[in-house]
Amino acid sequence: MHIMEGFLPPVHAAAWGLASLPFLVMGARSVVRVTREHPRAKLLLASAGAFAFVLSALKIPSVTGSCSHPTGTGLGAILFGPAVMAVLGAIVLLFQALLLAHGGLTTLGANIFSMAIAGPWVAYGVFRLARTLGGPLALGVFLAAALGDLATYLVTSVQLALAFPDPVSGFLGALTKFGSVFALTQIPLAIIEGLLTVLVVNLLIQFSRDDLDELAFAPGVVR
Amino acid sequence: MHAIDRHAWTNRWRRHHPGEQLLLAGGGLVLALTLPPLTAGPLLCILMAGATVVGAGVPMRAFLGVMALPTGFLLTSAPFLALSLDLRDGLHLAYSPAGATLALAVTLRSLGALSCLAFLALTTPVAELVPWLRRLGVPAAVVEIALLIYRLIFIFMERAVTGQQAQAARQGYSTRRRSLRSLGLLIATLFQRALERARRLEVGLAARGYVGELRVLTPERPLSRRRLAGIGGLLLAVALGSVLLDRGLV
Repeated sequence: MHIMEGFLPPVHAAAWGLASLPFLVMGARSVVRVTREHPRAKLLLASAGAFAFVLSALKIPSVTGSCSHPTGTGLGAILFGPAVMAVLGAIVLLFQALLLAHGGLTTLGANIFSMAIAGPWVAYGVFRLARTLGGPLALGVFLAAALGDLATYLVTSVQLALAFPDPVSGFLGALTKFGSVFALTQIPLAIIEGLLTVLVVNLLIQFSRDDLDELAFAPGVVR
Repeated sequence: MHAIDRHAWTNRWRRHHPGEQLLLAGGGLVLALTLPPLTAGPLLCILMAGATVVGAGVPMRAFLGVMALPTGFLLTSAPFLALSLDLRDGLHLAYSPAGATLALAVTLRSLGALSCLAFLALTTPVAELVPWLRRLGVPAAVVEIALLIYRLIFIFMERAVTGQQAQAARQGYSTRRRSLRSLGLLIATLFQRALERARRLEVGLAARGYVGELRVLTPERPLSRRRLAGIGGLLLAVALGSVLLDRGLV
């Protein structure tokens, strides 16, 4: 859920940028460390980033008849870990603004926070938790992708509600308003993305075991 | 996407120092967010459309094309700001005049900011903007990855689109169940191909003596003081114009 260019007031735009900063610094450090240890990881990460960008160009069948696209947040978090995903996600969001006019430069911080930080961290946390509790892989992947998506929408709703509190009922009213609009369209999409991610991970395990093993430098990894 | 990228590489201001376009777009964005939106929004749209079409020689159609889709989103989402939700006894949705004023202001602010983004996207190639991230303190490794991503996006995109077309031609999207399966297959294949691409890149670069750093020659482009002054003047004019118009002085 991209917040479009200029939609947020300046203070909010700057505040979300600041909130994203520590995660980006942490992610950039881990990217620098990984690429120093494995120079070829640079090419792998670049491929992963381009892959994430391209996911947003694919159409996903939606229940309501409208089309949407997979976010790849859950998949990326499981395969590459949330720290690296913050950096890749930020780059992808920047390019979506510059190449598609999707999202924006002033709202980049807010969009990074919801899509490249909150989503991947929730997805990763859920995945680890499900695996630690001994849940089957498919369930963990499904929950990670679906809940990661929902976390993204929830954060976007909070961002909008904070920026535009309801004239009568304030923040809570606005949150209910934005949240219910998103819930109608996004809960079915989150479920679809969950199912889709399970399919993809299963296919990858079936056909590209070696590729997954190569991602060993990443902390996530379906093993 | 291809249209935006093509115009960015072929427009008349292509050979100018990217800092000039960055100043105009960045300054415009700052003005869009800080000035009274009712007057600054439309003024910025006019300035950016003028700079893109008259200055850089990008067709008006392309500029409007970039603006169209986000404007559609804007017009469907801004009205929600004009609705007010009362939670005190039950749920009541009502039209709020204060909300409507806000919705108008946000719409115009967004349009103004969007025109700046459209100008930047249409006149400056991404490959010229990314190296500026170095100046913001982004590590070299990350900037290099960003540049590589930019190069790979177009290759992967073509693959994804043709893949989906081929699947659709084989009834891959005829039912909902099948669409999900097809999309899963497509994404898994794209992922495999992405990794394969990375391997091939690595072999190719290793053969050229790659040790973890890609060196490219960036052409020297002097910053033109005249143009910088012109851009400053235009931004100042927009700022003054919007403040004066807002106070009803003009």
